[in-house]
Amino acid sequence: MTAPKPIIFIVDDDPSIRLALENLVSSTGQQAETHATAQDFLRDCPRDPAGCLVLDVQMPGLSGLDLQGELDHAGIHLPVIFITGHGDIPTTVRAMKAGAVEFLTKPVSDSELLAAINQAIEHDRLARADRAEVAQLRDRHEQLTPKEREVMELVVQGLLNKQIALKLNNSEITIKQHRGKVMQKMRADSLADLVRMAERLSSPGSPPM
Amino acid sequence: MSGAEKLIESQQAGAALRESEEHYRAVAEAATDAIITIDSDSTILIVNPATERIFGYSTEEMIGQPLTMLMPEYLRHLHKSGITRYLETGRKHIQWAAVQLPGLHKSGAEIPLEISFAEFTNDGRRFFTGIARDISERKRLQDKQARLARHAVLHAEVSAAVSESEKSLRAMLEICAAAVVRHLDAAFARIWLLNEEQKVLKLEASAGLYTNLDGQHAHIPLGSFKIGLIAAEQKPHLTNSVQSDDRVSDKDWAQREGMISFAGYPLLVEGRTVGVIAMFAQESLEQDTIEALESVAPIIAQGIERKRTQDTLRETQRLIQAIFDNSSAVIHVKDLDGRFLLVNRKFEEVVGLKSQEILGKTSFDLFPLNASAYDAADREVIETGSASETEEVLITERGNHIFLTTKSLLSDESGKPYALFGISAEITERKKVESDLREIQAELAHLNRVMTVGELTASIAHEINQPLAAIVMNGNAALRWLALDPPNLARARDSAELIIRDGDRASHVIARIRALLKKAPPSKTLLDVNEFVLEVVDLTQSEMVRNRVRLRVELAGDLPRVPGDRIQLQQVMLNLIANAVEAMRAIQDRQRALLITTDIIDNTVVRLAVSDNGPGIDSQTAQHLFNAFSTTKPEGMGVGLAISRSIIEAHGGRLWTEANDEFGATFQFTLPIVANES
Repeated sequence: MTAPKPIIFIVDDDPSIRLALENLVSSTGQQAETHATAQDFLRDCPRDPAGCLVLDVQMPGLSGLDLQGELDHAGIHLPVIFITGHGDIPTTVRAMKAGAVEFLTKPVSDSELLAAINQAIEHDRLARADRAEVAQLRDRHEQLTPKEREVMELVVQGLLNKQIALKLNNSEITIKQHRGKVMQKMRADSLADLVRMAERLSSPGSPPM
Repeated sequence: MSGAEKLIESQQAGAALRESEEHYRAVAEAATDAIITIDSDSTILIVNPATERIFGYSTEEMIGQPLTMLMPEYLRHLHKSGITRYLETGRKHIQWAAVQLPGLHKSGAEIPLEISFAEFTNDGRRFFTGIARDISERKRLQDKQARLARHAVLHAEVSAAVSESEKSLRAMLEICAAAVVRHLDAAFARIWLLNEEQKVLKLEASAGLYTNLDGQHAHIPLGSFKIGLIAAEQKPHLTNSVQSDDRVSDKDWAQREGMISFAGYPLLVEGRTVGVIAMFAQESLEQDTIEALESVAPIIAQGIERKRTQDTLRETQRLIQAIFDNSSAVIHVKDLDGRFLLVNRKFEEVVGLKSQEILGKTSFDLFPLNASAYDAADREVIETGSASETEEVLITERGNHIFLTTKSLLSDESGKPYALFGISAEITERKKVESDLREIQAELAHLNRVMTVGELTASIAHEINQPLAAIVMNGNAALRWLALDPPNLARARDSAELIIRDGDRASHVIARIRALLKKAPPSKTLLDVNEFVLEVVDLTQSEMVRNRVRLRVELAGDLPRVPGDRIQLQQVMLNLIANAVEAMRAIQDRQRALLITTDIIDNTVVRLAVSDNGPGIDSQTAQHLFNAFSTTKPEGMGVGLAISRSIIEAHGGRLWTEANDEFGATFQFTLPIVANES
């Protein structure tokens, strides 16, 4: 599975800003894609985009903050860099809580912006990798039988085979067999590995940063 | 000597005289005066025919009788002793020529006589002849003349009293009563005045025997007793016999005091009773005395009336003067020749002169610097007859005063003007305040412009920040394009072009804001209304975006250019848009929508309208919407609409508001196509 080339999505209603951002991003050798409104972007956005989003907070129609919500809703996980003409604290806090990686005030210095873009792309890359790993683990977990899932749950809680057998009203031998299947299907090298996998599965949203 | 002998003797003597004085007898016969000859014993010897006529006796009744029969009782003794003394001593007890003595008529009445005596001797006997002239007619005329003279004096005194304006009413009446007593021989005279409301006559003056004003006659009900009846009936009551008069109630008193006659007259003015004058006398009243009283009654009545009117007038004058003096207004009355007739205290204060120095003078005497202006205004009022209001300036040592003076004509009952009334309010302070206010308004207009811009600060900052941010980014991009190996010159050039475009955009914004902030005097140019609207819309676009307002602009094609001050009108438009945006902030349940339209009405005016779908304007707010300092905004100054309206009105247009059908309000103004300097 090869990582797609990241795209810097620029959404700004002001043509000057839009063009300037595109120009700046292009000059660093990165690919930029511009949209005048949030609606346009939502319509044209690919299924699982890689890269980041540079958003103007105040825009006609759907605002930057609204768009952020819409993207979450649509399961699109792009890190967002907000650019605002007048950054007030409540808006900033709201944006950051909603997962914005950076909040920049105009006029934006190019190094700040480009650093933020690079950081966002890296962030996106890691998040994507993490999401890919969790998806893989979930696929494996799907392969387990109900009995195996029960056993795995008790194993990662640190119970001994004997204790699990007693709890599930099975023989110790049977439990041992199920445990071996779980380790195999989950491709876990050790008990510690399995515990880590279980943790990832239980909290799929939070990336390991 | 017996009576018979005496008679014979007298006849014989008389006969002897007759013989000797035959020719004299002829004269005596024809004389109108009584000619009586007596002897030294005062026995009547001869009488002529006139004697019969004057004394009422026949000749036979008189001959041989003592002369004293023709004398009143009280003179008889004097006559006897007088003639006896004369016969003895030759000394006369009275003058013998033209002495006036009363005689006694057969009827018992006295007859005024003028008598002359002569003495002669015949045959050694002394005889006396008296010539008596009946002067009763002359006497009557003389008395009448004397009375008439006194009546004339009465008349004069009463007339003088009633025209004496300085005296009180009571003092005037006392003089009149006293004059009646003095000149009509009244025992006493009194004057009552009628109180019409209470129907009571009140004793106001009493002269003669009684001078007290209290007692039982002090108040007499109208219609009661003789005085009340005189007043009620408006008829005089006269009697020369109080003892037999029904209306005289206290006959014992009249008897005791010797009152013979009474005369009472109503005091009438134009058929109204104002009082009663009445007198008692201890003798009969002659017709001319009654006439005298009758003639002064109306004079007194008129006097009372005039006095009362005068008193009322004086009271009114005092009242008016008091009101005038306590007024803060400056009040004057001038005659039609411009002479001051009346001024109030404030007038004195303002001009710094006492009323004595002002009255009778003209403005030309007192205020030579300003008089011609005052005079022109006065003349206009006199000529047109209608009141005028003028601003007048008075230059004094203490500075200039400005007055707002209302002048009007005062007319008499017939409508003929006789004076000019002027009432002035000093407006020096107000004028100063007005001029200060105008300055403040100019300041406010400027301030408001700044404040409106302040409300749009974010918008303007955004407007400038956008191109500036783009310039910086494009500049950085250009450097990067150039730093590539090989440099990307095409993209670097593109970047430079973007920079120039954004630079231009920024400078346009700056220019617009500067023009907006500049306190430019109104300068009218021909404006393309649509272009001007778009400029303002451009300036506020970001503000609308920020407030999530959907803007629709509907401009009419082919609008004529209208004369106007671009900056001022932009200010109005900005104000209306800012207000609309503000009004819509409260809306959460629907899309905030702003509609800006232009159109032309009747080919005479261009209309610009800003319509929002906010909460609208309640009727209470609408009433003072355009008043300065009226605001519904917590941070608002409340000057925006007031100034906006004055700007539009200065352009000859109209600014008003209307409620929309569903939501919100439409603020709109018109601008005349043809310059209309209002």
